Amino acid sequence: MAEHHAASDGKHKASANAGGSVHGNSRPGAAGGGGGGGGGKGGLSGGLTQPAGWQSLLSFSILFLACLAGFSSRLFAVIRFESIIHEFDPWFNYRSTHHLTTNGFFEFLNWFDERAWYPLGRIVGGTVYPGLMVTAGLIHYVLNLLHITVHIRDVCVFLAPVFSGLTAISTFLLTRELWNQGAGLLAACFIAIVPGYISRSVAGSFDNEGIAIFALQFTYYLWVKSVKTGSVFWTIGCCLSYFYMVSAWGGYVFIINLIPLHVFVLLLMQRYSRRVYIAYSTFYIVGLILSMQIPFVGFQPIRTSEHMAAAGVFALLQAYAFLQYLKDRLTRQEFQTLFFLGVSLAAGVVFLTVIYLTYTGIYAKIHIPIIASVSEHQPTTWVSFFFDLHILVCTFPAGLWFCIKNINDERVFVALYAISAVYFAGVMVRLMLTLTPVVCMLSAVAFSSVFEHYMGDDTKREKPPAEDSSDEDDKRNSGNLYDKAGKVRKHVSEQEKAEEGLGPNVKSIVTMLMLMLLMMFAVHCTWVTSNAYSSPSVVLASYNHDGTRNILDDFREAYYWLRQNTDEHARVMSWWDYGYQIAGMANRTTLVDNNTWNNSHIALVGKAMSSNESAAYQIMRSLDVDYVLIIFGGVIGYSGDDINKFLWMVRIAEGEHPKDIRESDYFTPQGEFRVDKAGSPTLLNCLMYKMSYYRFGEMQLDFRTPPGFDRTRNAEIGNKDIKFKHLEEAFTSEHWLVRIYKVKNLDNREPLDHKLRSVVPKQKYTSKKVAGHILFCCFNQK
Amino acid sequence: MASVWAKSFAHLPVLSVFFFLLLCLPPGGGQKKKENLLSEKVDQMMEWSSRRSVVRMNGDKFRRFVKAPPRNYSVIVMFTALQPQRQCSVCRQANEEYQVLANSWRYSSAFSNKLFFTVVDYDEGADVFQQLNMNSAPTFMHFPAKGKPKRADTFDLQRIGFASEQLAKWIADRTDVQIRVFRPPNYSGTIALALLVSLVGGLLYLRRNNLEFIYNKTGWAMAALCVVFAMTSGQMWNHIRGPPYAHKNPQNGQVSYIHGSSQAQFVAESHIILLLNAAITMGMVLLNEAATSKGDVGKRRIICLVGLGLVVFFFSFLLSIFRSKYHGYPYSFLIK
Repeated sequence: MAEHHAASDGKHKASANAGGSVHGNSRPGAAGGGGGGGGGKGGLSGGLTQPAGWQSLLSFSILFLACLAGFSSRLFAVIRFESIIHEFDPWFNYRSTHHLTTNGFFEFLNWFDERAWYPLGRIVGGTVYPGLMVTAGLIHYVLNLLHITVHIRDVCVFLAPVFSGLTAISTFLLTRELWNQGAGLLAACFIAIVPGYISRSVAGSFDNEGIAIFALQFTYYLWVKSVKTGSVFWTIGCCLSYFYMVSAWGGYVFIINLIPLHVFVLLLMQRYSRRVYIAYSTFYIVGLILSMQIPFVGFQPIRTSEHMAAAGVFALLQAYAFLQYLKDRLTRQEFQTLFFLGVSLAAGVVFLTVIYLTYTGIYAKIHIPIIASVSEHQPTTWVSFFFDLHILVCTFPAGLWFCIKNINDERVFVALYAISAVYFAGVMVRLMLTLTPVVCMLSAVAFSSVFEHYMGDDTKREKPPAEDSSDEDDKRNSGNLYDKAGKVRKHVSEQEKAEEGLGPNVKSIVTMLMLMLLMMFAVHCTWVTSNAYSSPSVVLASYNHDGTRNILDDFREAYYWLRQNTDEHARVMSWWDYGYQIAGMANRTTLVDNNTWNNSHIALVGKAMSSNESAAYQIMRSLDVDYVLIIFGGVIGYSGDDINKFLWMVRIAEGEHPKDIRESDYFTPQGEFRVDKAGSPTLLNCLMYKMSYYRFGEMQLDFRTPPGFDRTRNAEIGNKDIKFKHLEEAFTSEHWLVRIYKVKNLDNREPLDHKLRSVVPKQKYTSKKVAGHILFCCFNQK
Repeated sequence: MASVWAKSFAHLPVLSVFFFLLLCLPPGGGQKKKENLLSEKVDQMMEWSSRRSVVRMNGDKFRRFVKAPPRNYSVIVMFTALQPQRQCSVCRQANEEYQVLANSWRYSSAFSNKLFFTVVDYDEGADVFQQLNMNSAPTFMHFPAKGKPKRADTFDLQRIGFASEQLAKWIADRTDVQIRVFRPPNYSGTIALALLVSLVGGLLYLRRNNLEFIYNKTGWAMAALCVVFAMTSGQMWNHIRGPPYAHKNPQNGQVSYIHGSSQAQFVAESHIILLLNAAITMGMVLLNEAATSKGDVGKRRIICLVGLGLVVFFFSFLLSIFRSKYHGYPYSFLIK
C-alpha cells in the first residue's frame, strides 16, 4: 500500500512541477492584475527561446510589486497623521528599543525597570521576547554605520511594513514548494494586502506579530524544504529561522507543535523516509538548544506540557527508525508489525493527552476575568472571518480539497497547518493572524488551478505535442481521482478536441468573473485597511459635516503635561491600559501596565478606583500615589473611556477583595449600569465616577441638552455636586479626554494647645485647567 | 386551617402531639407554644431534608414552614415549573444546578439546621405564585431567619445566571453559610470518547483484511472541510457563547435569522453561512473538475457554468448578508 502511494505521489509531484513550468507564464498575468496581463502574453510569444528568463523576470517584478503594494497600503496612518507609534504595547516595545540603542545590548538584557509596577518593579530583560527590539536596533545601527541618520522611532514605525514584504516573499517560496510558481505569486499578492495580517502590521504598530509572521512562514518554508531534500543544510536553516521566531513571539509554540504533528501524521500514513528522519532529528535537537538561549524561554522547552509533544514524537521517531533497522535484519515480520502497532498506539495516546492538556489550559485561561476583559481573547464570529479574509475564507477550503486529493509529504503539512490554525482562530480572535498565511496559500492554490485551466488555452495549442501530451496525461490522472465514473481513456487528439470544446467564451467568462472577484477582494482590503486598521488610537480624528477633520491630540497633550510639570519620580496611578503609554510618553512611574503579570496589584488599583474617596485615599497613600490619570470620553462621545471599562475594574477588584467590592452594588435594582440619577449610590460616589464627572455638571455642551449631559452614554449625570477632600484637579486636556488629579498630602495635624479654636480644614479647589473650556462649548462633534 | 394541617400531616405521629398542645394550651402560654412550634418545625424540616436534599413544598407547607414567623432557619426557595407540559427548559437546567448545590450542602460536614433548600412547583402551589406576585420561573428567593425578604434576597438570575457557584456565593452573601460546591464528576464525555475509540477500533479490527477505505482521500478531505466550515462559520463562538437559534419578535411574531450587529450571531445564521461557504467551495471544485475531467463536452460545459454560478451567486449573497450586518460597508455585488 505504501509503495503504491509513494509512486502515485511522485507522479503528482511531477505533474505539479510540469504544470508550473508550462503555465507559469500565463498565471502571473492574473496575479498582477490588469497591468501584468498583456505583458505576460507578449513575453510568452517573443521569449519562447528562453522561457526561464522571462519567467523569472516576471516573477521577480510581480513579487516586487506585491511587496510595494503591501508596504504602501500600510501607510494610511502615517499619511493621515504622522510617523507615530500606535496603541499600547508598541509603546513599551519602543521604549525598550530606545533603551537598547542608548545603553547597549547587555545593559538591555540586565535591565531592571523600576518605573513600572511601583513598588515592585519589573525585570524587563528576562521577561520579553527580544527579537523585535534587537531587529530594530540592528537596522538602526547599520543605517547609522552607513551615515544614514534616522531616528530610532522611524525605524520602529516602518519595521512592520518592511517585514510584510519579506513575509510576502517567504509565502511565495513556501507556496511554490507546495504547489507551483503561479500559486506562489498569487499567495504573495494575497498576503501582501489581506486585512487579517495588515491588522497587526500597519506602519506604527511596532509589535512582535509584525516580524513573527515572517519568521513563521520562513521557518515553514525551510521545514518543507528540508523534508523534501533531507539535507542537514536546509534543516539548520530551519532551526536558525525557528530561533529567530522564538526570540520574537510566544506563538513559536505553534511551530513546535505543528512540525511534530506533521512528522507524526507522516509516520501514521507510512510515509516515513530517511529524509523525514534527518530533518526532524536535526530540527528537534538544534532547535531545542537554540530556543533555550532566549532568557524568557529558558528551560520551558523541557518542562512545560506545550513542548512535550515534540519530545514524544522525537522518541517515537527514534523507535520507529530503530525498528526499521531491525526489520532489515530480522525476519519475524508479524512480531514487528505488532510491536510497531503497540508503540504507535502508546505514542498516539501520549500525544492526544498532551493536546488535551494544552487545550484545557487554553480554555481555562479564557475564563479568568483579566484575560476575559481583553477583547482580543474572544471567540470569533463569522463576520470577523469574512471581514479579515473576504473571498479567501470561502475559497480556501477548495484549495485544501485539491491539496488532500493530490497528497504528498509537504501537502500533509499544509493540510495540518490549515486545520489547526482554523481551529485556534475559531477559539480566539487574535489567532486569526496565524490562520491568515495558510488561507492565502490555499486560496492561491484554488484560484491558480482555476486560472491554469481557463486562461492558458491559446498557448497550449502552440506547444510541442510531446510536452503537451505528457502534461495532459498527468493532469488526466490527477483529475481521475475525483471523477466518479471510471471512463475509458481517450486518445490525445480527442482530448485536445475536448479541451477546446469548453469553448473560448465560457473560458473567458469564467476568467473575467474570477478576476472581478479578486478585484473586489483588493478593493475590500483597501477599504478595511483604511477604515478599520489605520487608527493610531493615540491621536484621534473626528469629521465635521463638511468633511473637514479635527485632530484630537488629548492623549499626547496630557502625557506631555505630566512630563513637563511633575516631579521626575512622581508616581501615576491609572488603569492598566495606559501604563505603557504613560511610561513611554510621559516617562513617569506607573503602578500597573499592560504586562498584566500581577493580578493582585491590578485588583488593588481597581479597588481604589471603585471605592469611595476616603477608602481610596488610604489605598493610594499606601501605594505612594502622586497623580491619578483617567480617560473620560463623555464630552466628545469617545466610547473607550474608563467609565465604560469600569465594570471590569470592579470585577477584577471583586476577585481579590470580595468583602469590600461587590459588583451588584454598582447596578440599579433592575440590574442596569446607569450613570444618571437612577444609578446606584455606590456608583455615584465612587472615586472613578467622581473623577470623571468633576465639574462636568456645570458644563453645557449643546443647547438641546441639559448641563452635564454625557455624550458617550447619552444620559444626564446623576451626581453633579462633586467635591473632593483628598484630591485636587491638576490637569484636564482640551476635550476633557484625559483628566489628571493630584493626590494631596495628609493635612497637618491640628495643634493641641489651642483647644478653643475650631479649625475648619481648608478646602480650596483650584483648577489649573482653563484653556479650551470656552472654545469647547462651540465644538461640534460630527 | 387545622383540618388542612391534619390532612397533610396525619401520618406523622409527632404532629399529633403538636396538635394536642396547640388545642389544649391556653393563650397565656404563648412563649412556650412558640418554642415548641419552632422546634417542631425544625425537626420536621430536618427530617425532610435528611430524606431529600431539596424539600418539595405545596402552598400550605410553604406558608407554614417558610412564611409563618417563628423561625430560626433560613430557607432558599426555588420557584419553578418543572412539569413537562410547561416546557420550561431553563427550569430544568436551573433545577440541576440547584440540586448540585443542595447536595453539596446536604453532604457537607457543615450541614446544620440553619439553612434549608426547598422548591415550589407552579403546578403544586399556584397560589404561592399569586401571593408573591411572581410571574416568571425559575426564581430563587431567600427567606431569612428574621424579618421579611428584602430586595437582595431575590437572586438576580438575569445578570448572574444560575450556576451553582454563583448561587453559593449569593447564599454566602445573604446567610453567612459557606457552601463549597461539589459537582459529581462528569464522566459522560470520557465515556463517549472511550466508546467512540472502541467503536472505531472494533470496526478497524473487523475489517482488518480490507483497510482500503482508510486510504480514501475523499473521506479525509471531506472531514477536513467539515472542520474548516464549522470553524469559519463561527460554531466555536456558538459553543462558548450559547446564542439563541433565532430571534422572534414578540410584537409581530416575525422571526429573524440574522443578527443585526456584527458583534453577535444566531445559531441559524451560522448554519446559513456554513452552507454558503460550502456552496462557494463546491463551485470552485466544480470549475476545476469541468476543466480537468474527460467526458461529454456539453456536460462539462454545464458543470462549469453551474460551478461558476455557485461561486458568483452565493458569494454575492454572502456579501449582502455581511453588508446588512456591518453597517456602513459600501460594496456589494449583484445582490444589494
